[in-house]
Amino acid sequence: MKKLLVFLSLIFVLSAFAQKPIKIGAILPLSDITGRQAANAMKLAVKEINDAGGILGRPVELIIVDDEMKPEKGAAAVDKLATVDKVDFFVGGMSSGVHLAQIPILKKYKKITVWIGAASYKCEEAIGADADWYFHLHPWDYLQGESYAIGWKAIVERYPQVKIEKIFLAYEEGAFGTASFKSYLDEFELAKQGTGVWAGLMKDLKGAPFKSAALGGGDYRAMLLQAKQYDPDLFIWAGYDADAVPMLTQAKEIGFAPKLFVGAPPGWPADFGKNPLSHGVVLYGMWAPALKDVSPIARHFWDAYIKEFNEEPATYFAPLGYTNIYFLVEAIKKAGTLEDKAIIKALREIEYESPVGGILKISPSRIIKNQGFRAQKILQWQNGTQHVIWPFEYATAQLIYPFPGWSGR
Amino acid sequence: MKKIMNLYILFFLMLFLVALFRPYAFFYGLQRGSLYSLVALPLALILGIVGLLNLAHGDLLTLGLYLGYILFNQLRFDPIFSVIVIAPILFIIGFVVYKLTIERVLKSHHLNLLLITFGVSITLVEFINLLWTSRPRNVYVPYATKSINIFGINVGAYEFLYIAASIGVLLLIVFILKKTRFGQAAFAVGQNPKGAAIVGINVKLVYTITFSLATAMIAIAASLMIPRVSIFPHLGGPFTMRSFCLTAMAGLGNLPGIVLSGITLGLAEAIVQSIPGYSGWSDLVFFGVLILVIALKGYRRAVR
Repeated sequence: MKKLLVFLSLIFVLSAFAQKPIKIGAILPLSDITGRQAANAMKLAVKEINDAGGILGRPVELIIVDDEMKPEKGAAAVDKLATVDKVDFFVGGMSSGVHLAQIPILKKYKKITVWIGAASYKCEEAIGADADWYFHLHPWDYLQGESYAIGWKAIVERYPQVKIEKIFLAYEEGAFGTASFKSYLDEFELAKQGTGVWAGLMKDLKGAPFKSAALGGGDYRAMLLQAKQYDPDLFIWAGYDADAVPMLTQAKEIGFAPKLFVGAPPGWPADFGKNPLSHGVVLYGMWAPALKDVSPIARHFWDAYIKEFNEEPATYFAPLGYTNIYFLVEAIKKAGTLEDKAIIKALREIEYESPVGGILKISPSRIIKNQGFRAQKILQWQNGTQHVIWPFEYATAQLIYPFPGWSGR
Repeated sequence: MKKIMNLYILFFLMLFLVALFRPYAFFYGLQRGSLYSLVALPLALILGIVGLLNLAHGDLLTLGLYLGYILFNQLRFDPIFSVIVIAPILFIIGFVVYKLTIERVLKSHHLNLLLITFGVSITLVEFINLLWTSRPRNVYVPYATKSINIFGINVGAYEFLYIAASIGVLLLIVFILKKTRFGQAAFAVGQNPKGAAIVGINVKLVYTITFSLATAMIAIAASLMIPRVSIFPHLGGPFTMRSFCLTAMAGLGNLPGIVLSGITLGLAEAIVQSIPGYSGWSDLVFFGVLILVIALKGYRRAVR
């Protein structure tokens, strides 16, 4: 009887252990649409994985902590997930500023981290070359800059009427904007020497800062007048979603219509496509809803997200959040164990077709060994829809060139 | 009187010089500065009569903008005319906010008053965030992007409404304070609440109506701003700060001074923004001018 009791207890303990969930700790800014939709997409991925039987015979548990877009909260969230929730992996991310504060804490725990946010090269410098456990999926700012050049070169080849020699960069005066301008300046210096990705394309560059509406600004007219005087082939602004419509409104007001009007905010305002001024605006992005028409996985994600949350994914952080979980889970499946070394090896080997559009595969960047996506896409608002213009294999429309101007709208 | 005249002469001389050397900055500064004044006037009214610095002022403006957005989006209500609907709603909201929160701590320490309006501000922002998310909203009406040519300079026409509206609101407040029974009572309460109570003025009622009325006046700025700004939960914060700066610069109870201060700071900001490579200094100049004016005022008072 005693032996039977011991045997039954052992079975009970073992089965309980076998069912113990694999814990993934996510840190996201939940009051922002990027973080909220990324969190939703992660929940969707976890639900699909658990419905399909989990991984290694165990369910997946997702614990999400709000960083409130504040560095101190983001850093405390890492500590909380590691010590209170005892998670196995870290995922998530959005702001570079928050991530800079998290990096020293992440280094303390050295848990496998698969990060979808933080584009600033400063984060890469802070992580350093030795962090084998750190995987960064979002392209770094300089990789984005390089990919735009590659994209524009391809576009110039396909559309001979397109000329991109004089570039005007309007950048918000905070860390995001100034980092963008610095990377453009570096590339311009290389282009002048005939090297770098912009060589043969960019002949002249001018920049002007502006105070973003998101930070109490919103008057761009002085900057737009400078741009109008310069008469660029490509006008690009690096700011936030709150700048998008007032920038166009004021450009129309002063009659500034460059041949290419490009916006590079992390997200776009609600119903931006419905605004008549949006037609013809080019943007950089990792993803566009129109991708669902050319990619089955993007279609699956789109339909599943709407079914689950009764809203459309509106930011690329939604498919990126979904990718975040699946990429990690696919690697755990391939490794067949929760041992760090095996999972790191698997993460470096797997190729995952992402709803973001494209195959996700790890390769080294300037400093870190484990960089995921390297390129953004060139998109264009056309009659209310974001269309993919480049890469051509995912193109959903032809480029409208030159920018249609303001008359009649 | 002579000092005030000198001040006005100095002000118009400054306008003339800016218009001569930086015509774009002149128009942009005039427009932007008038907007700052338009938003600041109701805050100054509350500060002058109730003695309360309302830190939720900008957030009430944000709420007004969202109301205008809904009216346009759901009922195709023209933004400018939406003031007819927004003003009464903001009056009621102002009334409720005052009765539920501010009135209860009115007699306590000034710090408590500040804290309660700070609490109202946070509550409003979070409430707006919950209802409409952080994603910016916009309203597009073609007439808000039209421009006119003045002496060969292409300037947006719509924002000239800010100038007219700020002068209009100033005149409206002065009219209420000088020519109506309520205004005269409010003026007396602002000067000496205890004395006003002794002569039979219902101070509590005056405070309530003043706060609600000033909140309703925010609707004028909100309805004009709707087609020109991105509407998002944190939009109002910087407007509270600027309104407070204008009130501090003009001095308590100096309503025309709010308009002059607004235009002066707007021009200073626009001039700096018009200098290539130095636009990032505009905040520094804004607050620099403010500090300078307050310091000069303090110095003159000390000399006297």
